Amino acid sequence: MIMHEEPRKVYYLFSPFLRIFHWTMVICISFLFTTGLLITKPASGGVSMEPTFGNILLSLDLIRNIHFIAAFIFVAAFILRIYGFVINKGDRLFPRVWKAEFWQSMIEVSMHYMLLKPSHRPYLRNPLARMSYVGLYSMVFIEIFTGFAMYLMVNPNGFGAKFFGWTIGIFGSEFMIHLIHHYIAWAIMLFVIGHVYMAIRADFMEREGEISSMFSGVKILEHEPVDVGEIMDKESSDTFSDRKPLHAGQQETKM
Amino acid sequence: MDKLETMWDVCLRKNIKRRSFLKSCAALTSIMGLNMDMLSKVVAAAEKNPLPVVIWLHGHECTGCDESFLRSATPLTSDLVLNSIALEYSHALSAAAGEPFEEHLHQTMQQYAGKYILAVEGAVATAENGIYCMTGGKPFVSVLKEVAKNAAVIIEYGACATSGGIQAAKPNPTGSVSVREIVGNSKPIVKVPGCPPIPEVMTGVVMHYALFGKLPPLDNEGRPKQFYGNRIHDTCYRRPFFDTGMFAENFDDAGSKAGWCLYKLGCRGPVTYNSCGNLRWWNGLSYPIQSGHGCIGCSNDHFWDEDPFYKRLPEYGPILGDVDKIGAAAVGLTTAGVALHGAMSVVQKKKRQAAEEKSDGKKVE
Repeated sequence: MIMHEEPRKVYYLFSPFLRIFHWTMVICISFLFTTGLLITKPASGGVSMEPTFGNILLSLDLIRNIHFIAAFIFVAAFILRIYGFVINKGDRLFPRVWKAEFWQSMIEVSMHYMLLKPSHRPYLRNPLARMSYVGLYSMVFIEIFTGFAMYLMVNPNGFGAKFFGWTIGIFGSEFMIHLIHHYIAWAIMLFVIGHVYMAIRADFMEREGEISSMFSGVKILEHEPVDVGEIMDKESSDTFSDRKPLHAGQQETKM
Repeated sequence: MDKLETMWDVCLRKNIKRRSFLKSCAALTSIMGLNMDMLSKVVAAAEKNPLPVVIWLHGHECTGCDESFLRSATPLTSDLVLNSIALEYSHALSAAAGEPFEEHLHQTMQQYAGKYILAVEGAVATAENGIYCMTGGKPFVSVLKEVAKNAAVIIEYGACATSGGIQAAKPNPTGSVSVREIVGNSKPIVKVPGCPPIPEVMTGVVMHYALFGKLPPLDNEGRPKQFYGNRIHDTCYRRPFFDTGMFAENFDDAGSKAGWCLYKLGCRGPVTYNSCGNLRWWNGLSYPIQSGHGCIGCSNDHFWDEDPFYKRLPEYGPILGDVDKIGAAAVGLTTAGVALHGAMSVVQKKKRQAAEEKSDGKKVE
């Protein structure tokens, strides 16, 4: 293999708010998933257990509280996501489904992942990944709505139950809500596997700092990415490096 | 029967003391889930308001709701039927029968058009023009439509009337549906679900209308808030065992004997709204969970299709089976697929690099 000495450009993509949100989500989902499994199928101390000497780790009260606290932190963390979305173009990951260009790039990237094309054009933010985030957010919102519907129906006449209770009507019964909440939790796990794999793979195949971008917020690309226009105005992108080499634009480095 | 008596009139006629009358009013106030501040209003209503005329129809059902109703302790069913309402027509509780009885129904409907309460027990069989449930030689569905037309208010008693009942279980051969599906939303309808409902809930609802002339406050499903505003799970006296993580695993184990939580034995407490935990049954004697049997969620719509009752969330999924096993299998498959894809990607990259090196070599030449 020939080692190229190529100029690479640094692109600032993800705001700290998105990155903190991302890792909050990782931690919360881990807790939510494990405690969720335990709530469905509680561990039990067996029949020789005495209430007084009950093992705190078997306490479903504790497990449920962890589940609820994780859920509240997760939902609260969306404020970071929204703030990042407002201030930073790189955070706006919703796929541009109204543009034919987006679908073309989707097909191109899919062809590559189906191993039918040796490589795909360089993207700052992979169109297929962005599409999968729409799926993730949909699942997360179903979890939030079904979760709060179950949680707040403790007081069916309260404001919270009015706000989320209609979810139960959609799925038929509260019994079904429990099951749907559980099915979607597993679907999110499938997403996690795909997401982690794709991130590692992208790092390996393209060497563009895919994984580190979720810590540093930047990606380093050799070629001009196709979707560069989405994070900065075309006009300024050409001159950006002259004015502000370290922020939001491009910085020439030797790799 | 031109002018209807009030509750107080009945007491006077029967030589019941004022003191007893007031005690009944106090009991009624508490059983209707009202604040004791309301006592004076209840007394005033019992003195002034004429007894409401009730027509009680029975459809496609087992009359188990009647069995429950008869066991109401506060107020006593006999008090209610004889002193608190003017029950003009009821299949199960009437001595009369045959033509005169049907004639009486029509007279009542004409005389009190727009004023009477229609209480319905039982589902409405609709398949084959309703011939699966006949009363007085007519399909029940037509009787119901006729009586409902001039009713002031309709009370659906029991799971059959509120959502079709056991006979509406899949595949529902008789086409049983709830009363609301036949009558529509043209009349105010109270849902009193349960299989059967708690007797005090049944009497409490009709007394509320009898005294105040209006329906009790209803939740978004049309059930009276004061009786269906709590989850069984949240009012369960076994809840501390749930919180501590102490579960009966079998009906014959020591946990079951010691009265631990029945969550793992399929108790539907977490998804069911009813007053069993607070009011209990038979004058507070007991209720299913107290007797060592999990709640089957009998006040939920279509609870009969959420069987088996002794499995938690019917082993985590009605059609596909245990969601955790499916999930774990899916995770395994996905991981395997991802690993395979990863290996193939490595091969692909190797090939690509080889090709690039070749072309680079050519360029140099």
